[in-house]
Amino acid sequence: MNVIWTIFKKEIIDSLRDRRTLIVMILVPLFLFPALISISSRVIMSQHRKAKDKVLTIALIRNGNAEDFRESLVGRSDVTVVEDFSLQECKERIKTDSLSACFEFKSDFDETVKSMAGGKVNLYFKHTDNQDVEKDRILDLLNGYGDKLRTERFAELGVDEKIIKTLNIHQFNLATVKEKLADTIGGFLPYLFIIFCFMGSMYPAIDLAAGEKERGTLETLLTSPVSKGQILTGKFMVVILTGTVSAAISILGLYIGITQVKEIPPEILSILLNIIELKSILLLLSLLVPLTVFLGGIELALSMYAKSFKEAQNLITPLMIIVIIPAFMGLLPGMKLDATTALVPVMNVSLATKAIIAGNIHTLHFMEVYGSLIFFGILGVITCIAVFHHEGSVFRS
Amino acid sequence: MIEIKNLHKRFKISREQKKQKRSGGRNGTIDAVQNISFKCNPGRIFTLLGPNGAGKTTTLRMIATLLKPTSGSITVCGLDAVKEAVEVRKKLGFLTGSTRLYDRLTPNELIRYYADLHYMDKKEFMQRRDELFEILDMRSFADWRIGKLSTGMKQKVSIARTMIHNPEVVVFDEPTVGLDVMTSQNIIHLIRQCREDGKTVIFSTHIMGEVSLLSDDMAIIHQGQLLYNGACKDFIGQKGGGSVEEEFIRILQGKEQ
Repeated sequence: MNVIWTIFKKEIIDSLRDRRTLIVMILVPLFLFPALISISSRVIMSQHRKAKDKVLTIALIRNGNAEDFRESLVGRSDVTVVEDFSLQECKERIKTDSLSACFEFKSDFDETVKSMAGGKVNLYFKHTDNQDVEKDRILDLLNGYGDKLRTERFAELGVDEKIIKTLNIHQFNLATVKEKLADTIGGFLPYLFIIFCFMGSMYPAIDLAAGEKERGTLETLLTSPVSKGQILTGKFMVVILTGTVSAAISILGLYIGITQVKEIPPEILSILLNIIELKSILLLLSLLVPLTVFLGGIELALSMYAKSFKEAQNLITPLMIIVIIPAFMGLLPGMKLDATTALVPVMNVSLATKAIIAGNIHTLHFMEVYGSLIFFGILGVITCIAVFHHEGSVFRS
Repeated sequence: MIEIKNLHKRFKISREQKKQKRSGGRNGTIDAVQNISFKCNPGRIFTLLGPNGAGKTTTLRMIATLLKPTSGSITVCGLDAVKEAVEVRKKLGFLTGSTRLYDRLTPNELIRYYADLHYMDKKEFMQRRDELFEILDMRSFADWRIGKLSTGMKQKVSIARTMIHNPEVVVFDEPTVGLDVMTSQNIIHLIRQCREDGKTVIFSTHIMGEVSLLSDDMAIIHQGQLLYNGACKDFIGQKGGGSVEEEFIRILQGKEQ
C-alpha cells in the first residue's frame, strides 16, 4: 500500500504541475458555468425587456370595417398604427421586421359581427420561439377587441355573460416544482457530470500512460521493484480523483453561478436553490466515483495501448462522442429510470440525475445504477490490466 | 552476477511492421534473440557489442525483467529473473540512453520517489542522496525543475536515480547515445566506479572506442545470435594486425556469408 501511495503522490504532484491538467480539471469547470449563467441570463433578460418595451407597428387593412378597433389602438403609446399598405407590402415588411403584424379585416366584417356570427380577421406576423412576448402582445390586441365585441353582443341580447360558462374547471397539478423542472435541469446536469468526468480524467490518463511511454520514463519505472498492479493502481487512483474532482468542481461552479450571478430573476433563483439542496448534491456526487471508474478505466486502457501522447488523444477523443450518445438518449421524451435502463452505463447516470433532482429516485434502481457502473468500471480496469501486462502494448513502437 | 543460458526471444510481428517489411520473420514472428548464453561476473564490466537491431536492447530488457524470455533462463544474483522478477529488480540499476525524466519534478523529488519505490528508509536515503549529490556535484540544481536543466545536468540526475538504491547489478543500454563528450565522460566514470565498487556491470554499445576503454569481458551479437563471447583482451589479441573495428566487421561479414 505504501508503494501505491508513493506512486499516487508523485503522479498527483506531477499532474498538478501540468498546466493543461489544471485548466481542464479546475479552471474550466469552475468558471464555465458562472460565465455561461451570467451571459445567458443577461442575454435572455435583455431580449425579454426589448420585446416588452418595443413599440409595436401594426398595419391595419380594414376595408372600411372595425373603426372602433382602430380608435382603440391609435391612442396607445405602445402601438403605432399604419393603414396605407397593401397586403403584399405588409407581408414584405413583416419579413424584414419593419412591421410587427398586419390585421386584415374582411370586407363583410362589420356586417358579419352585427349578424351575430364570427367576423373574419387574418393575422400576419413572423414568430420564432424567442419572440413569445411580442407574439402574446399582438394576440392580446385582437383578443381584447374580441372580448369587447362579445360583451357588447351579450348586452344587446340582454344575456348575462356567465351563463355561457358550463364547466368551472379547477386544475390541481400535484407535481412538485422539482418534478416539473427535473426534465429541463435534470437533462442538463448529466452532461455536466459526464463531460467533466471525462475531460478531467482524460489528460491525466493520457499523460500517465502514453505520455510516460513516449518520454521513456515508464521503462525506468518498470525496472523498480514494484508490481505492475501497484503501478496501475497508483495511476488509476489519480485518474479517478481528477475525474471526480473535476465533475465536483463543475457542480461547485454551477452553485457559484446560481448564487452569485445577479441577473437571474428571483423567482427562478428560488426554484434553482430549492433543487440544488444538500441531499441531491450528495447523491449526485456519489454517482461520480463509479462513473469515473468506468470512464477512467477505458481511457487508461486506451492510453496504455497507444504508443504516443498524440495517438492516445486520437483514440480517446472520439470516445467522448460515443459516451455522449447514451447520455443524450436519457433525455428523450418518455425515458425513465427503471430496472432495465438503470443497467445501461452513462444513460443510467443521465436518468438517475433527473430522478434525484425530481426527488423520486427509487432505492432499488439507484443501487442498480451503482452496480452497473461498478461492473463496467471493473471491466474497464480488467481491460486496463490486460493491456498493461501485455508487453507488446507497453513496448509498442 | 548475471548468468544467461540458451536465452531466446520471439516477437510477433505487428501489421505495421509487416506492411513496412521491416523484418524477415516467418509465420508472423521474428527471433530477436536466439539461444544465447553468457555470464557477467561481479567487479567486471561486460560489454554487449553489436550493430543496430542486433538484439542488444531486447537482451538487456529481459535481464531487467521488462520482457519475458520465450525460452532459456536468466539468473541475477542467484535469483530467477522470471519467477522472482520483483526481487531481481531490487538488486538492479537500469540506465538507457533514451531514458528521460519527469520534467515537472525536481531532482530531489525524483530521487526520493525512486528511493521510496526501492523501500529505502529515510536515514539510508538521505545518506545515499547526499553522497551521490556530492560525487555528481548536483547540489546547486537539486531543487530546480528537471525540465529546466541542461542535458548534462539531466544525465547526472539519471545516474543518481539509477544508483540511489546502491544496486549490485547495473545495466546500461547504449548509455552515451546522443550525449556530448563531457556528459559521456560522466557515464564512463560511473561505469568504472561501479567496477571498483565490485558491482556486476553489463552495458551495450555499438561504439568500438567504449569497448576497448571499458570492457573486461565482451560478447558480439548480430541478428540475435552470439558471434563472440570471451575476454576483451583475447578479442583484441586475436585481431592480428587490424583494428578492433576491422575484427568486428570481419566477424559480422563472416556470419553473413
